[in-house]
Amino acid sequence: MFLRLALSCAMLTGGLGAAQTAPAAQASHAMPAARVSAAPAARTPQDTAVAQASQGTAVAQAVRAPAAPCSAPYRIDRTLPNGARWQLCWEMRNIEGLTLTKVVYTPKGNRPVSVLRSAALAQIHVPYDSGSPRYHDIGALGSTAIPLLAADCPGGERREQSVCVTTRARGHAYLKSGYEEPSVSAQGSDLVVFAAFQVGWYTYLAEWAFSDDGAITPRVGATGSLAGSTTTAGHGWPIGVGSATFEESHSHNVFWRLDFDIQGKSGDVVEQYDFSGSRTAKRKLKRTTFTREAKALNRRTRWWRVVDRGVRNADGHPVSWELNNSDSSQYRGPAGEAFTRADVYVTGYRSCERLASVNPAPRCAGSVDRYVNGERLTDPVLWVNVGYHHVPRDEDADPMPTHWQGFRVTPRDVTAKNPH
Amino acid sequence: MGRQRIVMALAGAGAVAVVGAALLLPGGQGSQAAEAAPREPVPGDPLTGAEIARAGDIASATSRAHMAAGRVNLLYVERDDGKDAEERRRADAYLYDYATDRLIVRTVDLGRGTIVKESVTRGVQPPPSKAEEVRAAELLLADPAYGGGVREAYARAAGRQLRSVADLGLRGLIFTPGQEGGARRCAAHRCVRLFVRLPGSTWLDTSRIVVDLSAKKIYTLEW
Repeated sequence: MFLRLALSCAMLTGGLGAAQTAPAAQASHAMPAARVSAAPAARTPQDTAVAQASQGTAVAQAVRAPAAPCSAPYRIDRTLPNGARWQLCWEMRNIEGLTLTKVVYTPKGNRPVSVLRSAALAQIHVPYDSGSPRYHDIGALGSTAIPLLAADCPGGERREQSVCVTTRARGHAYLKSGYEEPSVSAQGSDLVVFAAFQVGWYTYLAEWAFSDDGAITPRVGATGSLAGSTTTAGHGWPIGVGSATFEESHSHNVFWRLDFDIQGKSGDVVEQYDFSGSRTAKRKLKRTTFTREAKALNRRTRWWRVVDRGVRNADGHPVSWELNNSDSSQYRGPAGEAFTRADVYVTGYRSCERLASVNPAPRCAGSVDRYVNGERLTDPVLWVNVGYHHVPRDEDADPMPTHWQGFRVTPRDVTAKNPH
Repeated sequence: MGRQRIVMALAGAGAVAVVGAALLLPGGQGSQAAEAAPREPVPGDPLTGAEIARAGDIASATSRAHMAAGRVNLLYVERDDGKDAEERRRADAYLYDYATDRLIVRTVDLGRGTIVKESVTRGVQPPPSKAEEVRAAELLLADPAYGGGVREAYARAAGRQLRSVADLGLRGLIFTPGQEGGARRCAAHRCVRLFVRLPGSTWLDTSRIVVDLSAKKIYTLEW
């Protein structure tokens, strides 16, 4: 056996049921969501109100405040400057790392709506362009959490060293010019929860932004160092001096698992929206309701929503959260990596289905494509696959600038008007 | 054995020192275990250190002889976050039997102090534990072909001789043969791909090296 040990130090390589007590017509701007009277009982501890939406009135029941689902160090309860409130719990799980649970949103002037039962990363698949190596970067992610410095959590608080909880400006929430009066405008803000993980050369930043308008933006940033694997010109980019070595291009296919439970697990339905009409003047809305488990592909105007028809806002519209996955590079791998071949998966809740690939649970399918097996959906879980193709550049020389990838979850009809 | 050409490249990376320190944190489940003062956990809290220890003890009770012999290892304990058991404190203990290549997951009800479920399976590989990362590195160091190269790279980066694997920053990922050629025995065995970090924020290029913890062998991927 011939062993060559080449030590090269080149540049990089070498180098939430909200109800209102007043008739809808009397409400000024903040229209809350309410569970319609068809619901015989509250579905969650927070689901304290029953509304008779069909009569245009809502009746609130005086109910004691529910106990917090987690203790202080793991509890996040933040009211943002505009009055929007987010409540959730975090846990640094051994495998998935930062996991957020029991996420509840309270729009200003409204009652709380539970949104997500659980949300976490479900895989970071990293295939290199030459075909090898091909990593599944979620190992025991929790044990790779990096202790954060104060500077890593600007304006925030660090929880048990590795989780940052902070608030961040997000630019204009709105701006409307006045007619004779002055313009009205407001600056928006996000509650941000994040942790950093060291996986090999890479540092992954797992971030969740909860906006004061009810939006949720999960994203992952990759920084740290490039792997330093060199390849041929066809599979890489020369980033050292000259054009002798080519740093290998690769994909980061990040998967998230989102268990939406809008006011409890019952009544949640996933719909897909398309708009027909190509090279035509008219466009028409097409709604596809997923009654069974499904794999879905991105399209330019396509989006999905998780809707609970049993939970209505003051306009009588069902409360939903919309999902947009428009920034993915849409990597499609070989047959053995079928989990890469769809952008959104909708599966029925099973506690053992935890990761999108290399699932660690016994007596369970091994990857998300196999979780989709025709089951009728009663408690849907969404899996979102966002790819980023990284072609290295000189600027990636150490420390590598953070490149981000993620998607958007926005409230659709949670309130009857802008709850600003 | 065919002629194999292995390149171990030292990646010169200038990451901040704290990252290196994090990598060198001792094993265990510090990140998952609650570190605050002892208190009665509520259902949604992470497992406390005491709960992890207790769940591990209960789950290991019937495997002690195999564990003493090194045949079975307790990988880690994870909180059971299933919706059907939300109000209960339950923990899943992951054990692996390297002789039969079986994953054993025992669910412990911490309120009752008993195992309420056991699943045994083959072909499912949860992530490597901290102890497995160390074991894999020990096998790598003991390998006649690679051990010397790792020591040499360490000496060059650190300016001193490697004393033990504790000097190395280790991260492991499960390797299963699929799209990458070689190491076919890893379809059934428990195999790990290591990332080895050296002082000065450099890494060994170990991307082609696979450590078979079941067979206690090192494989080199051919690509």
